[in-house]
Amino acid sequence: MAGIIGVYAFDKIWNISKFLYYGLIGLQNRGYSHSGITILKENFQLITNEGAPEDIELPSNIEGWAGIGYTGTKIGYPIITDFGTLVVDGIIKGDLNEIAKGLYKDPENTLKEINGVFSLIFLTKDGKMMGYRDPYGIKPLEIGGFGFDLAILSSETSGITVIGGEFRREIKPGEAVFIDAYEISYSQINESKHNYCAIDLVYQSRIDSFVFNKNIYEVRVKIGEQLAEEKKIDADVVIGVPDTAIPFAIGYSKKSGIPYDLGFTRTGSPIRTMLASDDFLKIIGVQLKLNPIKYVVKGKRVILIDDSMVTGRTLKNTVFALRSLGAKEVHVLIGSPKLISKCPYGMEVPEEKDLIAANLSDEEIAKVIGSDSIYWLSLEGLYKVLGKNICVGCMTRNYPKVI
Amino acid sequence: MKVLLVGDGARENALAEALANSPKGYKIYAISSYINPGIKEVVDKTNGKYFKGNINSPEFVKEIVREINPDFGVIGPEDPLFHGVANAFREEGIPVVGPDKECAMIEKSKVWMRELMWKYNIPGRLRFKAFEDLRDAINFILEYGGSIAVKPSEQVGGKGVKVIADLQAYLSNEKRNAITKGINGIASYVSDKVKVIIEEKVDGPEYTLHVLTDGYTQISMPLAQDYKHAYEDGIGPETGGMGSISGPKEGLPFISEEEYVKSFEIVKLTAEAIKKETEKDYIGILSGQMMLTGIWGPTIIEYYSRFGDPEASAIIPRIESDFGEVLELLATRRLSKAKIKVNLKPSVVRAVAPLGYPLNKTMASNHIINIDIQKIRELGCKIYFGSVSLEGMQLVTKGSRALELVVINDFKEASDKLDKCINYISSDTKLIFRHDIGRTIENQVEKAEIVRYTYKSREKKGLLGVSADWSPNGGLW
Repeated sequence: MAGIIGVYAFDKIWNISKFLYYGLIGLQNRGYSHSGITILKENFQLITNEGAPEDIELPSNIEGWAGIGYTGTKIGYPIITDFGTLVVDGIIKGDLNEIAKGLYKDPENTLKEINGVFSLIFLTKDGKMMGYRDPYGIKPLEIGGFGFDLAILSSETSGITVIGGEFRREIKPGEAVFIDAYEISYSQINESKHNYCAIDLVYQSRIDSFVFNKNIYEVRVKIGEQLAEEKKIDADVVIGVPDTAIPFAIGYSKKSGIPYDLGFTRTGSPIRTMLASDDFLKIIGVQLKLNPIKYVVKGKRVILIDDSMVTGRTLKNTVFALRSLGAKEVHVLIGSPKLISKCPYGMEVPEEKDLIAANLSDEEIAKVIGSDSIYWLSLEGLYKVLGKNICVGCMTRNYPKVI
Repeated sequence: MKVLLVGDGARENALAEALANSPKGYKIYAISSYINPGIKEVVDKTNGKYFKGNINSPEFVKEIVREINPDFGVIGPEDPLFHGVANAFREEGIPVVGPDKECAMIEKSKVWMRELMWKYNIPGRLRFKAFEDLRDAINFILEYGGSIAVKPSEQVGGKGVKVIADLQAYLSNEKRNAITKGINGIASYVSDKVKVIIEEKVDGPEYTLHVLTDGYTQISMPLAQDYKHAYEDGIGPETGGMGSISGPKEGLPFISEEEYVKSFEIVKLTAEAIKKETEKDYIGILSGQMMLTGIWGPTIIEYYSRFGDPEASAIIPRIESDFGEVLELLATRRLSKAKIKVNLKPSVVRAVAPLGYPLNKTMASNHIINIDIQKIRELGCKIYFGSVSLEGMQLVTKGSRALELVVINDFKEASDKLDKCINYISSDTKLIFRHDIGRTIENQVEKAEIVRYTYKSREKKGLLGVSADWSPNGGLW
């Protein structure tokens, strides 16, 4: 899981370091246990952080007119080679130094041959930038501009808009973009076989983003409406787990007529770096982060919507918290089909043995998490909202033949 | 009748063609700084004569005027106007399309233009500050809040404009620092005492309204829009324009009829104000480079004292009536007799430039371009020659936009056809052009719609044009 960004100034009067920094903060929803930026002036300067981009410490004298950035779960990005600096969202087969060499010397043929599921941004040592999305398009990549001054590549539009840029368009699956001071050119390197990542749409992307040619917020409200079509529940209030599941709850409420309410308030900032990697801390984090509001749930039959369920541990705590504040009934709805298999393409879906939905029946799961009922969005429902060109490997064990 | 055309770009190529197509059988004479193959074709066809020389020298132009004694003249670019070439024609008793240099100040000096708009309370005017001392400008940029545009105080061919949209407080310093670093560059284009102006920054879809005016009658031309960013998808440095669109009909899909009328009103008011200020009639083309903004609705960004380029290539081929005659009527101040009938279909113009444009003129100069003109015309596409010189039998680039290709058809069809035409152009350097021109109409419709909510609501509350910025140290401006 990662968010990647590239910022390119056509005029060297610009110092783009803070643009990279804030752009990355706009992408840390895509993973934040490792982050870093490389900035080019005459040479590359690399700054990394074992944590979220907001905690990257930029030296006060750092300067450069082009650079790339990474926020995600992998150590070692961005990498610097003799030929340029590289960031990747996803999985690439092969030696990255060799790939960087190829991208420098013969980008088109190199891109034709790389295997994997990825989007990448490469900045050559002599100041040319390229971006590429593999033909399956499982990982997103977008391009935008900033006045007459900057070109911006970013996983999501949020990385562009957070720094004041204007989103222009999505790089197509299999398409490369080449940017230098004198030109922006595109090349369709491989034929598109687009399979957008369903989890990216349902969970990972920010709700203000436009990704995979879709408005994320709109998609999620529609999923909520679809849930209401599929599963009618007699209840008093609908609440969504912040922030990702709120649009589902709004959609469910719209369709069912059951009022939507804010079920939770937040303690601390949306993402705490120190809570990122450790499972135990994650649970504390969720409880710390999401305090339910008694007034909303006391004496009510509550529909609680979340975007996904992995181990069920955090949901169990949430349901318990709702009950302890006086919820009469708690019905859990999940805005995606059951996750039953790991993601080989870099999305953080654990192995089958850790996935509660792959191991237990609905009845058992309800018992574990302590809810009155449990329901997952159907696969047909997901297709209805997102279309058929999506990767649902983690929900079906049928993976597009990619690597 | 004899016509003397001054200028050397694609716009003048389009004007020359319109004159040559007139049933009145004009004989076209032209003065250019290099041999433009498109203009040459027209001159040869009408048995005129082509002169090479300094188009900005009133003395030189006067000599030619005396030699050929034309019935009227047409001046294409702004620089000859600024230098008094229109005055030279009139001093020789020859009517001409193009304002005297006193009137062309509306384009030459942005300070003069803004002051005029404020003095005469013309709607669509923006707040501005003018600076002689660059340190003052830098202090101003660093100190004041708000979004601003920093511009050279003079018309310098669309170069040097820097814009900060200061909407992200966390990047405010970065943006302001970059601009202050760039300010010497901005000022270096300017010869006037006042070096830069700083305006409040506005946002919205841009369009150009060209108005023909002979001092008695005003006729508005169909709207056009030019595409300023150098590179694909509207990214990259500012240019003179990498293409343009016009239509359908008189307007553009994102400008309402009411907005068109208001825009025309603004330009007319400006022409009147120029007359009051200079005591001279404005005879020529007065073009509002407009933007639909939340603060005013139709708003003036800049004025042109001539046709825009590449807007001219989008508009002129759409005129189905005798546009050559219209130019004559304009020059001779009988514009009330003119009729303009417009092809209802829109047009799309795509400029083609050598790699290096607009940042590196040396890199973009002296390349050979090959064009299969026959094939391109067979496809229904027009070619106007711009910054490309006929040297011997070869076309050699001069550093700016070399060609403009035009197709009149619905936006999508026209854009698809332009994709095909491009294949018949080659060069010993890479050529740059934008595929997206004419393909982003929906985005612009949406952008206009959003802006419209704001200015309509201001209008209702009587708040049109009301804006201010404040800083703790400097107070309000």
